[in-house]
Amino acid sequence: MSGFKPLTVPADVIYTYDGSFDGFLCCVFESVYTGELPFSIRREEDSPMTLYDVRSIVTDSAKAERVRASIPLKISERALELVITVFCSCLAEKELRILEFLLRAYREGGKLCFKLGDAAVAPLLSAEKHLLREAHHLKGFIRFADVGGALVAAITPKNYVLPFISQHFVLRYSNEQFMIFDKTNKSALVYQNGRAEILQIDHVAFPEISESEARYQALWKQFYNTVSIESRENPRCRMTHMPKRYWENMLEVSGLVHPAAERILPGGQIVSVL
Amino acid sequence: MDLMEKLTILTNSAKYDASCTSSGVNRPGKTVAAGCCHSFSADGRCISLLKVLMTNYCIYDCKYCVNRSSNECRRTAFTPEELAELTMEFYRRNYIEGLFLSSGVIRSPDYTMEQMIQVLHLLRHRHDFRGYIHAKTIPGSSPELVRRLGLLADRISVNVELPSEQSLNRLAPNKKREAIFSPMKQICAETEQNRQELVIYKKAPRFAPAGQSTQMIIGASPETDYQIITLAEAMYGKYALKRVFYSAYIPAVEDSLLPALDAKPPLLREHRLYQADWLMRQYGFKSEEILSHDTPNFNPYLDPKCNWAINNMQEFPVDVNTAELETLLRVPGIGPTSARRIVIARRNGRLGLAELKRIGVVLKRAQYFIQTSDRTPSARPDKEMTVRALIDQNVYSFGMEQLSLFQDAPGPMPLPTSRDVKSITEAVEETVLCLASSL
Repeated sequence: MSGFKPLTVPADVIYTYDGSFDGFLCCVFESVYTGELPFSIRREEDSPMTLYDVRSIVTDSAKAERVRASIPLKISERALELVITVFCSCLAEKELRILEFLLRAYREGGKLCFKLGDAAVAPLLSAEKHLLREAHHLKGFIRFADVGGALVAAITPKNYVLPFISQHFVLRYSNEQFMIFDKTNKSALVYQNGRAEILQIDHVAFPEISESEARYQALWKQFYNTVSIESRENPRCRMTHMPKRYWENMLEVSGLVHPAAERILPGGQIVSVL
Repeated sequence: MDLMEKLTILTNSAKYDASCTSSGVNRPGKTVAAGCCHSFSADGRCISLLKVLMTNYCIYDCKYCVNRSSNECRRTAFTPEELAELTMEFYRRNYIEGLFLSSGVIRSPDYTMEQMIQVLHLLRHRHDFRGYIHAKTIPGSSPELVRRLGLLADRISVNVELPSEQSLNRLAPNKKREAIFSPMKQICAETEQNRQELVIYKKAPRFAPAGQSTQMIIGASPETDYQIITLAEAMYGKYALKRVFYSAYIPAVEDSLLPALDAKPPLLREHRLYQADWLMRQYGFKSEEILSHDTPNFNPYLDPKCNWAINNMQEFPVDVNTAELETLLRVPGIGPTSARRIVIARRNGRLGLAELKRIGVVLKRAQYFIQTSDRTPSARPDKEMTVRALIDQNVYSFGMEQLSLFQDAPGPMPLPTSRDVKSITEAVEETVLCLASSL
């Protein structure tokens, strides 16, 4: 077995990359082949003022592909899945944590993923859980509005969840056209003519809603308010199950978050959804 | 009457039904196998389905029901077309996972069922609706209609309504025990037969693929908690029910046979029943381990699992590095998820307290009951500390009105009332001392 590389040595350097997954894989490549463990890995746009050396890592798809292929080969499929999910999560210093995990996993093999109580693995698993839970929540909490026959919705998630909810909605609305706009990550899942893609978009302007759309929204709000049993009222329980950060995009409760929003924007309930 | 008004009336009439789950069928995209909550109402209950009645006209006069024929209220009915369309439009906007349809009895049980079947038929065949449908069968309707309903719905349910035949005779004189259990039996048999058909022919029409469930009202009649969970256990075993729902009785109509209108719903008791129900379905507990003839009611301060644990201290400590999954599940603070994780994680190295914490075990409760690679609890744990860690803080937030429920029950002393204590902290202290001394 010639495989064991020496452990990387902590180095006073910060890697910056373009923010893409391929770019990150090139940072892994750099670390493995220089034998140094950077102090931090950052996206170029939020590259900090620092006393450390900053090295800009250029995205090279050939290098990225080598790293990607090595993960299932030398570690496991599960490790690749975990790495991709955590990369989409909002874990602080996720790049460095994934790198540290990978460096160890190259030595210890696939079983590292199952050391659920390990101090280096547990944060990745909980970041993964956080993302998947948010994706599951959003499968329920997303509210579409019918705008000229197409369905549109907006979300403000903490994680980059679009790739994880895409399949669900494509299958659910396979005969429709729809768009889910992610305000946090400035991207949109667009599905039309049987094709789904995720686009980078800064801003979306939705048209006014029709009368029939407003009617269904009013019916839904009425149902929502009626179905609750007064003598059981329990706002804390509601908040545990449906955290307030989701409310701004849910028409039945958005008024409770920003009471002013509906007054400022004319045109009915839809304004708070979009 | 316009749709808005109808929806309001028929939602109001349906809202006391407890169940709103959408789990148990897997049609990728169309339904989420584990169920999906689309919203939560101000009372903290999940909204997964459009829960409405077909109509609130009713020929029956069940004492506990808002829709009883002698109650004066506005009555209306959906037409099958408008309900089907409303369901579709809500589903399209991702408001709901599907429809939960129940009904008051209009003209006759069979006529009512035919109306409901018409809605389901429109949804499934005209609108090509692939979402979730939970339909309630009407007691006393013909078996053929139950069968047709089951072929269109994902889950069907028959409410047992009250936990004993005596109570049923007293409070729901028009519903007979037989009328409730015979469809339950039939659904169970049809499901079994359907399973065999599916083996032979994969595309055989599926009968209620998400199984059947039932519901009973708690606190309108005098049964003990032990009677209730034994009944639930028997139904799980005999009719292969997927769920039993417990609904704290909320006084909606005045009647000399019922709790007064201003009585508070027994929410803590309902909560304990659900906890016991989960113990029986997910943790491998038997009803007689949770309660018995001698202690027929729940301990208000401790959840049933903790209560079992402190009364069976000889079973502990459990070694997390070697114990079977079933044994791990009995430890307070370890649930099905963390138990499974422990089993996976310990194959790759021994577990200490730090590892358990990262895995997600609630050490606050578990620490008194487990042995880890780096810690063995003392042979005689401090009772006071153990009790303090296990005490269910919910008991205080559910409010002191719960008092009356447990006053007659033998067991721990009654809850301190708000007048006796200045703060929750003091109340907790008092309870801790009291419980510890009774151990």
